[in-house]
Amino acid sequence: MNTMKWLVKREFWEHKGGFYWAPIVVGAIMVFFLAATVFSGVVMGHSHGFNINGNNVTAMTHDMSADERSQFAHGLATGYMGLAFPLFLVLGVVVFFFCLSALFDDRKDRSVLFWKSLPISDTETVLSKVAIAMAGAPLITVVLAFVVSFVSLVIICIGSALLGINVVGPVLSDPNLYLSPFEVAGVLPVYVLWAAPTIGWLMMVSAWARTKPFLWAVGVPVFAGTLLTWFNAIFSFGWDIRWFWQHIVGRGLGGTIPGIWFAYHPVPATALETANGMNANSHTGDMGAILMQSWHVLAEPDMWIGIAAGAAMIYAAIRLRRWRDEG
Amino acid sequence: MSAVISARALTKRYGKQLAVDNVSFEIPAGRIIGLIGPNGSGKTTTLKAVLGLIPFEGDLKVLGLDPSTQRDELMNQVCFIADVAILPRWLRVRDAVDFVAGVHPKFDRAKAERYLAHTKLTPSMKVKQMSKGMVVQLHLALVMAIDAKLLVLDEPTLGLDIIFRKQFYQNLLEDYFDEEKTIIVTTHQVEEIEHILSDLMFISEGKIVLSATMDEVGERFTEVMVPADRVEAAKALKPIDERQVFGKSVMLFDGVPRTQLATLGETRNVGIADLFVATMKGTYA
Repeated sequence: MNTMKWLVKREFWEHKGGFYWAPIVVGAIMVFFLAATVFSGVVMGHSHGFNINGNNVTAMTHDMSADERSQFAHGLATGYMGLAFPLFLVLGVVVFFFCLSALFDDRKDRSVLFWKSLPISDTETVLSKVAIAMAGAPLITVVLAFVVSFVSLVIICIGSALLGINVVGPVLSDPNLYLSPFEVAGVLPVYVLWAAPTIGWLMMVSAWARTKPFLWAVGVPVFAGTLLTWFNAIFSFGWDIRWFWQHIVGRGLGGTIPGIWFAYHPVPATALETANGMNANSHTGDMGAILMQSWHVLAEPDMWIGIAAGAAMIYAAIRLRRWRDEG
Repeated sequence: MSAVISARALTKRYGKQLAVDNVSFEIPAGRIIGLIGPNGSGKTTTLKAVLGLIPFEGDLKVLGLDPSTQRDELMNQVCFIADVAILPRWLRVRDAVDFVAGVHPKFDRAKAERYLAHTKLTPSMKVKQMSKGMVVQLHLALVMAIDAKLLVLDEPTLGLDIIFRKQFYQNLLEDYFDEEKTIIVTTHQVEEIEHILSDLMFISEGKIVLSATMDEVGERFTEVMVPADRVEAAKALKPIDERQVFGKSVMLFDGVPRTQLATLGETRNVGIADLFVATMKGTYA
């Protein structure tokens, strides 16, 4: 019996909308607007000009040295995966609401009694949902992000060629073109591990709440934070309230926002731009540098405290699931 | 073979409300038990305890396992339709069959497909497109194809038309049931399951008020059509219930020999529905 495999399939049947269609629709809209911008820029290029990643392409066409051209190509090949960043924001939202409903919806519609009539343990059920949140959904997003980024890159290359800058050769021969998707995928482990306390908290509330899981999940930490802030102000306790908001409320609710760990462990902007020999003047994100800096976060104790808290709350969700049926 | 279910001093409280009140019973293998009781009598709570869905007090063993601590193991041998059958709206017929085939070691796919062939369900149909009766048909097709030692059916035929209900109970008896299996059924349509039951259990206010095999019920309880001139004599034998049909008294007796009752009027076996109503009158009086 390959129960896990079927439980994971089950989640995809139920959440096709969030896992496939939401990123596909957003990706399609992004590609559409990029294409519209680029090609209208090409048509009206000489009078208006247009920007890609902060580079004014029209201005560059007038007088672009071979050096500048290769730098432009390198920027594209290195940073094109960054064009799909909105898809990762979608992922953050989808994972948030998936976790919140994961152990609640089937109790609400009472189909939990059907799932519980089959030989599936609560541990398997909960872990299959954790696997979706932490591996399945992010991997799908990375694949879609690659497709969207690549199509965007092609559109930009065509647009540039129409303006007289042919960068296809240098882009294709740039190793970063091929490395970037893997570098983005390489950030995923950091993303899901950093999100562990949020995923754990949402799953626990999802397993526990009898009604309105969103209100409980968001309300409890925000209310606690507000109360503490208020006490602190009235009685002048001198508590570090910022710490509570950042490390309890923030880690418990905001963990699925991609790249949020940089807000906790800031790195100098230059560290993100120069690692692959990029020119510091370029504003293009460098995936290799983001990957390296992200993995540094694994050396931070708050990362591991978060993982432990997330694991504990997922265990609590399994225990809660045991005796909660409908209502 | 030891009992399939053995309960001793089973008790379940919801707050101060006593849903199941210190109940003890044994159910041997190879029986079809009708669990009959009014709404809120504790039927569903008892079944949920048996299925390991709720915590309880007392001692309960199902197939030798404790449903509160060994549920995962138990669920390989037990299947149920709890309360009203509900399947998730997004589930497709095809996916439902694949899923159960994938996770249940005792699922017979061909059997499920055979049952489905007798319905209007198509493989690509989603639950949200189905009528209430069709959802039940799908659920029953899945459950009937699972070779479980204990099958619990809590109102399994709600929303089904009479033809499908008859067909279902027929299948249950001929195609599913054997001496290794035990089936517990609750339903409000008592008359429809009367002929397939081997045992009867009445439950009221959290207590079992009657537990007997159908043979015992037939021996113990007799209904007599008493003509007006014999009414006084009949009443002396303390009928547990009396009603009027076409100007004659129909009296129900518990434990009075049938030969003796035959002198009073025409005797016959009591229907479960009438017996149930009579028993419940007693407990509420």
